[in-house]
Amino acid sequence: MVQSKKQKYMFLTFCLVPTFVLFAIFTLYPLLSGLYYSFFDWSGASDNREFIGLDNYIRLMNDAIIPNTIMHDYFLVVTKVIGIMILALFFAVALTQLKLREAPLYRIVFFFPNIMSVVVIGILWTFIYNPNLGLVNSALDFLGFEHLARPWLGDEKWALPSLVFPSVWAGIGLFMLMLMGAISNIPKSYYEAVEIDGATKWQQFWRVTVPLIWPQIKISILYIVITTLNGSFVIVQVMTGGGPNNSTHVMGSYLYQQAFVQFNFGYGAAIGVMILVLSLITVIILQFLLRRDKVEY
Amino acid sequence: MKKINGWLLFIGLLALVFLVACSSEDAATESDGGTDDSNAAETGDTSSEKEASGEGDIAGELEIQYFVGGYGDSWWKEVIADFNAQYPDVTIIEHAGPNINEEMRSRWVSNDPPDVVYIDGAGSSETQMVEDGQLMNLSDWIQEMELENGDKLIDSFLVAPATYGGEIYSLPLVFDTWGTWYDKAWFESEGYEVPTDFDSFMSSMEEIKDSEGISPFVTTGQHPYYFLRGVLYPAFSAAGGEELLADLITGKEGSWSSDVTLEVMKKVETMQEEGMFDSGLGALNHTQSQMNFLLHDNAFIPVGFWLPNEMANDIPDGFEFGFIPSPMQDPGEPFAIVPDLRPLAIAENAENPEAAKAFVEFVFSREYAMSFSEHTGAMMNLNGVDLTDNPNVPVYLTEANAMINDPETVQIYEKPHPMSADLETPIGNNLLSLMLGNMTAEEFVEEAEKAAAEYRSGL
Repeated sequence: MVQSKKQKYMFLTFCLVPTFVLFAIFTLYPLLSGLYYSFFDWSGASDNREFIGLDNYIRLMNDAIIPNTIMHDYFLVVTKVIGIMILALFFAVALTQLKLREAPLYRIVFFFPNIMSVVVIGILWTFIYNPNLGLVNSALDFLGFEHLARPWLGDEKWALPSLVFPSVWAGIGLFMLMLMGAISNIPKSYYEAVEIDGATKWQQFWRVTVPLIWPQIKISILYIVITTLNGSFVIVQVMTGGGPNNSTHVMGSYLYQQAFVQFNFGYGAAIGVMILVLSLITVIILQFLLRRDKVEY
Repeated sequence: MKKINGWLLFIGLLALVFLVACSSEDAATESDGGTDDSNAAETGDTSSEKEASGEGDIAGELEIQYFVGGYGDSWWKEVIADFNAQYPDVTIIEHAGPNINEEMRSRWVSNDPPDVVYIDGAGSSETQMVEDGQLMNLSDWIQEMELENGDKLIDSFLVAPATYGGEIYSLPLVFDTWGTWYDKAWFESEGYEVPTDFDSFMSSMEEIKDSEGISPFVTTGQHPYYFLRGVLYPAFSAAGGEELLADLITGKEGSWSSDVTLEVMKKVETMQEEGMFDSGLGALNHTQSQMNFLLHDNAFIPVGFWLPNEMANDIPDGFEFGFIPSPMQDPGEPFAIVPDLRPLAIAENAENPEAAKAFVEFVFSREYAMSFSEHTGAMMNLNGVDLTDNPNVPVYLTEANAMINDPETVQIYEKPHPMSADLETPIGNNLLSLMLGNMTAEEFVEEAEKAAAEYRSGL
């Protein structure tokens, strides 16, 4: 049964056209329309808009809040990557290699935040951080560290770091499962071999586990970076709204404020373009930094 | 061959589905636009004809958008039902809810707005709607409007409508006024002083702080404009009159860095330095701050008249609402209040402007003003409504109403229009920094002046 050239092209067309059409509708069109609106002075709440060329981009360059939002975004990126990867890797190794009887229960417990909406997580942690009734300050009081209690989300210095914990807590489960899958695929014989050679558990981890699951670690890091740059908006919006005094605004939340609170939709679109460009640059740099020869034993 | 035909047919169908999906929006927009244009032209003519003749059949669909917040929606339901009874040929479509402004945004963007809009709540801005030409100019029509007893409506407002370039685009429906709330029963039982000016405000807070061990003043840090509207507007008005208030709201050069403004901000700085502000206020949202107040975690909160109605289910036993205009004025001066009006407007592109006008005219009556106070515990923006003998009106409202109507006790200052979000947002952010002790009053006025300069350059 040999396929004719025509049949082959028909099949390719069948596979590619719908995908491309969906891609065009749901990715290219919003992307291009965002770019298009960034050249307009538009409130986003009426059909009146005025073409203003690059004025929104000039404003972007002169907006004193923008550099802070970028820094806040990358602060979250770095702390989330470190926090999630360390904990996810630790739990993945513990649950696959320590032969715990309760491993299935822990898998469910750690994955649980992933099935919750980020909005719910944000609200939950807002209560945890509540200055008067929250768990954090109550625990500090109970342990005798009253002097450390503070209005976490209402403090210009501590509000942003306070957002890291819910973000990490919400992210561990998925990456833990990914890494557990990767670790499970490593043949046991490798560990037996290095054990005979006298390798400690620590050496086994660094010399066998990490190199063999590196592709999954890399994908996890890239995923955390992209989702943080594009999605940290939700947790910020729910927990602090970007405050106090812009101390937690990330690019996405500032975009929202400009577009939907201050009715500067065109300027918001320009911020969106900036997020896209920065995300692309970051991912390209990360691809370069994380490249490593494939390891096979 | 049959197989190939099958594939071709399938792909063709798929392509057709996508083409239809892609083109439907354009087609709909075109047809809507066409409908809108033709309707606008048609109704415009009709309306002018009918206005000229002074009569006309009120029929068809009438779409009303109203925000449901602290005042609830029971008053709206009553008014709409009564209107429907009077105009049975009108089919009313209500668009209401706490997020209605966001939900209806696509309708306004696609130039297919509802006929009548009550502008209130998050996501709505009267200034933006006027600037975008979304509201009907009511300047001429309002001159003809009369109340049931023949009084001219324009002369019957407690506070006159906002004007934009001398034109009127909305009619102020709700007369809200921000002020400072306290628990009257608690103050009476503990013998705390109800403030009458800034000095007594400070001494009262000092006494409460010492005896209760709490920070006496709370506001929501997530929305710092509450403090701006509830405390600073009256403070600015008391210190510099309507002129200063207007200059600050419009971001006039030098107004934010003026000596009078600095003097007011120094009072705020003093409140911060003396530990009057709840140190956690930066984290509190609207409801949390109100809850803290009800739980006596704090003693004073600056919000509008929505408070008792909105928190009705959470009021502790024995709690009694007391209201005073925010006491930021110097001793010997009357209290200052700056009404915060929530207007009703007709869309410029309303599909049924006759019904819209009939509805707006119907709503503005003293009967519904009384009923508004009964339903919401707040006031409608009409004078001549005597709340004193109505047992269904809350006591705090009758007292506040009496106080507001006594010019020796309270001076009313009107603002030209609401402050633009482009100015209010940066001012609010810096204000929060000042309240948290991260900024001095001098630094605040400097930053506010910068924000005003930026706002002016964007106009």
